[in-house]
Amino acid sequence: MFLKVQLSWNVIIAPENLQPQGLMLQRAIIIRLLGDFAMKKATKDLGYFLAVTTLEKIGEGKVRQHGDVLFPVVFNAITFKIFNGEILEGVVHKVLKHGVFMRCGPIENVYLSHLKMPDYEYVPGENACFMNDKLSKIGKDVTLRFSVIGTKWMEADRDFQALVSLEGDYLGPVSTLDI
Amino acid sequence: MSGEEEENAAELKIGDEFLKAKCLMNCEVSLILEHKYEQLQQTSDDPMNQVSQVFEKSLQYVKRFSRYKNPDAVRQVREILARYQLAEFELCVLGNLCPETVEEAIAMVPSIKTRGRAQDDEAIEKMLNDLSLIKKFE
Repeated sequence: MFLKVQLSWNVIIAPENLQPQGLMLQRAIIIRLLGDFAMKKATKDLGYFLAVTTLEKIGEGKVRQHGDVLFPVVFNAITFKIFNGEILEGVVHKVLKHGVFMRCGPIENVYLSHLKMPDYEYVPGENACFMNDKLSKIGKDVTLRFSVIGTKWMEADRDFQALVSLEGDYLGPVSTLDI
Repeated sequence: MSGEEEENAAELKIGDEFLKAKCLMNCEVSLILEHKYEQLQQTSDDPMNQVSQVFEKSLQYVKRFSRYKNPDAVRQVREILARYQLAEFELCVLGNLCPETVEEAIAMVPSIKTRGRAQDDEAIEKMLNDLSLIKKFE
């Protein structure tokens, strides 16, 4: 789910970027904030950081030891977090013998195990895929609607992984025509 | 999360901070990100190089998974869904997945039938009809 969040961060400006003109300073603060925001990538609590939407407030700067100045900044941003039990849609990008990997929003590693797609059988070949007896196909670039059964935060990569399932009503391949 | 109850979006157990947080539908995110991207195009020759990977992947995703493209339609979808006392999270799941039948809507958002709320099948049916009308006239 995409979320709109309000964040309060401290932005640090080096002394060489501290110019007396107010506008230049504000510009330096915004550039630094956008850089920090993109660098952060994601947090366990809020999910992935997509974009800063609006700046609410830049507080009084506080001078620190080496002459750089710390500004408290309040801003709004969009994040994407995946929840257990949530129903989402994703696109298959890798087919393996034991399951498929999907992309969903900024997440690359959404894993659907063969055990969680009832009735589908693995069909090997150059374009390997999974198929059921109604000839419904789960292969590369197919869109699937699934439910989330587990999520995991990987601190080292600042990335999420998700385990998903097709067990449930109205889950499975979605025809892209009606999107 | 409060820690004691396990997270389960199907029962709307997603933690108080997220229950109150504003959620956004794919089509709303698409409008915002595309606008940001257009702004970048005006100031940079190579805008894709200026955005993070998270931004790029999300933009691709919401472009593919937006049921409504026209800004007026996007606003109307939220207005219509807002009439039905839904939680933000439920509202956005319905707007994203656009179920066609009452049964499908309940399968996608089981919590609309629980929590002792007066969401009867007739009300859900009317909501889905209103949504499909927007789609038709878009």
